[in-house]
Amino acid sequence: MFEYRVRSKVFIGLICVVLGVLSLRLVQLQMIDVQTYYGESSNAIRENRVLPARGVIYDRQGRLMVDNEPAYTVMLTPRYFDRNKTALLAELLGVPDSLVAARLAEARAWNAFRPTASFKDVSFEVFSRVQENLYRLPGISFDVLQKRRYLTPARAWHALGFVREINRSELVQMRDEGYRQGDVIGRAGIERVYEPALRGQLGSEFKLVNIMGMEVESYRAGLQDRAPTSGYDLYLTIDSDVQALAESLFVNKRGAVVALEPRTGEIVAFVSKPDIDPKVFTSAVTPEEWSALTRAEGDPMFNRATMSGMPPGSTWKPFMALIGLEEGVVTPRTVYQCKGGYRLGRRLFRDHEGHVHGPITLLRAIEQSCNSYFFNVMMRLDVDTFARWAKMFGFGQRIDLDLAEQDTGLIPDSSYYNRTYPGGWTAGYSINLGIGQGDMLVTPMQLARFVATIANEGTLQPPHFVRGLRHSETGEERVPDLPPRRQIPIAPEHFEIVKDGMRRVMLNGTGRWVQIPGLTSGGKTGTAQAPGNRKDHSLFIMFAPYEDPQIALAVLVENGGYGATQAAPIASLLAEQYLTGSVSPPRQWLLKSVLERESEPLPETP
Amino acid sequence: MRVWYRNIDYGLLFLWLALVSLGLVAIYSTTHGPASEFLLATVQNNFNRQLMWLGVCLVVLAVTLLLPVRFFQYGAYPIYGVLMLLLLLALFAGHEVNGARSWLRFGPLQLQVSELAKVGTVLAVAQLLSVRRRSANSVRYAVLAVVLIVFPAAVIVLQNDMGTALVFLGLIPVMLFWSGLPATTLLLMVSPVMAGYLAIVYMPAAIAFALVFTLFILWYTRERYLGVLAFIFTGGTAVVLVFALSNILQPYQVKRLLSFTNPEAAEFRDNVGFHLVQSKAAIGSGGMMGKGFMQGTQTQGAYVPEQSTDFVFSVIGEEFGFVGGMIVLILFGLLFIRIMRVGVQTKHPFGVMVAAGAVGIYLVHVFINVGMATGILPVIGIPLPFLSYGGSALLANSMMLAIILNLAMRRDDFSIYGY
Repeated sequence: MFEYRVRSKVFIGLICVVLGVLSLRLVQLQMIDVQTYYGESSNAIRENRVLPARGVIYDRQGRLMVDNEPAYTVMLTPRYFDRNKTALLAELLGVPDSLVAARLAEARAWNAFRPTASFKDVSFEVFSRVQENLYRLPGISFDVLQKRRYLTPARAWHALGFVREINRSELVQMRDEGYRQGDVIGRAGIERVYEPALRGQLGSEFKLVNIMGMEVESYRAGLQDRAPTSGYDLYLTIDSDVQALAESLFVNKRGAVVALEPRTGEIVAFVSKPDIDPKVFTSAVTPEEWSALTRAEGDPMFNRATMSGMPPGSTWKPFMALIGLEEGVVTPRTVYQCKGGYRLGRRLFRDHEGHVHGPITLLRAIEQSCNSYFFNVMMRLDVDTFARWAKMFGFGQRIDLDLAEQDTGLIPDSSYYNRTYPGGWTAGYSINLGIGQGDMLVTPMQLARFVATIANEGTLQPPHFVRGLRHSETGEERVPDLPPRRQIPIAPEHFEIVKDGMRRVMLNGTGRWVQIPGLTSGGKTGTAQAPGNRKDHSLFIMFAPYEDPQIALAVLVENGGYGATQAAPIASLLAEQYLTGSVSPPRQWLLKSVLERESEPLPETP
Repeated sequence: MRVWYRNIDYGLLFLWLALVSLGLVAIYSTTHGPASEFLLATVQNNFNRQLMWLGVCLVVLAVTLLLPVRFFQYGAYPIYGVLMLLLLLALFAGHEVNGARSWLRFGPLQLQVSELAKVGTVLAVAQLLSVRRRSANSVRYAVLAVVLIVFPAAVIVLQNDMGTALVFLGLIPVMLFWSGLPATTLLLMVSPVMAGYLAIVYMPAAIAFALVFTLFILWYTRERYLGVLAFIFTGGTAVVLVFALSNILQPYQVKRLLSFTNPEAAEFRDNVGFHLVQSKAAIGSGGMMGKGFMQGTQTQGAYVPEQSTDFVFSVIGEEFGFVGGMIVLILFGLLFIRIMRVGVQTKHPFGVMVAAGAVGIYLVHVFINVGMATGILPVIGIPLPFLSYGGSALLANSMMLAIILNLAMRRDDFSIYGY
């Protein structure tokens, strides 16, 4: 038996060695390298993003302009779908069998075990129909997403912008911020600028996924899930009534309106016509539809309010008056002899239709829109001085605005002329600047801001669309960071003179016929030459009431003719709407007449 | 008052039940967890069937305990003979499961004959080597014993079940060791396996092993020819293996053989390395305490293939962590040592040899199975004794334990004259 005892010891030793080796391996795997293998095991946990509710948008009066509505997507899980039910599903969806078969094949190619969004944004009726038959349709499920819903008659498409499914290049840039294929993102306007605030914080839920990619259950009973935080709601400065009225006035017209609250820079109305019905973008826009929109007549995607630069015409005269006074080249009492034109060398720069105003003061020159007077002012000013003042008013540059689509316009200075013309600058090039013609371009937004600055006598307010942001869940309120206001270094009495001149335009001048009953106002018409021998652009700037300006407007009607005929009544009606809340019955004729007028149609493009 | 079950070893019974219960817990987790609805219906039933098999085992255990010692001694050859016939029958008339043609149907039961053949082989070899003869340790009997073992192994290879055949071969050194073969011979027998393993894992280690082993044999035996033999067995194996890998084996076989050293490599992880990547991920991510019963992400996601059968250890490793894995290994250790003690207590070579054979088979199973699940051995599909789902294996392993219990209980019945 001694033999056995020895062998038994050896054998037990062998057992211990074998089990010891295995134990050491466990130590290595489970204690030393545990982090490595924990990472390796993470393929079993899938993090699903939970999209937050996008912030909604209110107008100036707190009326809901934009909110969200559910968009129903039919999901297909090929592994569980019964092919014999293809016809049934096609019938319920109202699509041909072949489409269902095609989508099934696509889904299978991607992942047979995971639901694929095969039919996006089906109507509620279709959704309910399929829902009722769900018991007969294995492998069919739903995903409820959200899409934008527009609630007011005002479109405000160029201000609001739109949301669209994120594209490939954006996806590359925004991946770190949690954007994924299929997400929507603000692509223009306010939706774009306020995208981070509107979008909110993504939530996530963790699912245990089995080897076939099927979600089995919540990981750790949802302990690590994060609920999404919805986005901030926006409170806009836009008055949807004024906005809607403005849009309705532009039938058969192209142009733009910018209306500001002069004391604050709030944008009350922002119109660019033609525009697009925002509802177009609530469902997926196919590439064909998209290119149709970009090629549509009048280019509805072009934001005329901030991107179309044109010479301001006579609406520029208040500016010339201001800088003439401030630079001391004219005084309120200066009398200028208007001979119906200004002779420069061998050229005669004529007054409108050669009208001779005779001896004329600044106030009358504004009222009567005397070209010679302002040619004279311009000739007494250096073009660089002119450019410096213009830039001080924000012309010729981008405005620090919560809207990205902008053009700078153009304010020439001497170096511009020297660059552009072979012989360099001569007075003959710049004299036209005195009446807002020649090589200068301003946008309606810049013009409106200029009027607002006259109305508040020299404070350059930052225009903005958003008054505040409010979080619907927490109630937290935020105010957007506005750029600082700037004071124009022009004496207030000079502003008073110019405002007085503009009041006279409304009382006795070209704006007389669009006076708002019971309200004083200041205005100035402008008629800008349009390129290509076409009808002039009609321009009008206005503020009201005269004593305490609450609205300042710039209106452009492309190829609309005189400023007084088209732009002026629009501005006047909008001001009335804003100040009184309606268009008074005695002015309905004006409204009707505006609706009858139109822009000269665009020439046929080959 | 003497009762017939006076000497029953409750410790062994307890260890057996503990291991089977742990197996049932793991099988329950894989088949009744949140993922169960995605499993095949046949897999979903694994837990219930294993419970049923446990019932069968209890009956077999009770019956076995009632049999006299001599039944096993004198019945050893007939049992072996019948099982070999069944093995051949399965080879020609059985049906295939997972590519192995080793199943026979008995009414409602399906049995994998190769599992039961282990019991018969252990009994037969024990009987052969324990009959008292002057030349008990002579080479003739050793060769006969090897033939008894190699025959079923060969049939099982023909049945296309390499893993089970390997277990039989593992039985050879164990049985010969207990029958009194010189340690040197045993070491020489085992050394090629070690050298081959090292050659696959890390060639310099294989060379070092060959040199050290040769020098050790020379120093220990002072026989020059044994040293040469040792060098041929170790170094030769390594060389042959390297040659075989590059010239004889098909590329897919080479991949399969080599993948376990680094299954995470890009070329392996989605094909031959997949089992190991998933199993290592499951066990490794279990950490110290595990993720909790039915909480294992890999287990519940069914990432580890065959997780209620061959890879049941990965379930325990993931859900009960290092603690769970160690409990299993310690239970096995206690079981093996206790079997050996009980075997030696019979004071009869037959008892000792049966115990040694059983422990040998269990140990090879545990080493290969856990080694595979933890990635130190290539994937060789054999179950973990008592824990893996599988009726035949549970029955065979339990039956072997029951025989040992019986022999220990009736140790006084051993005829000293038969010795």
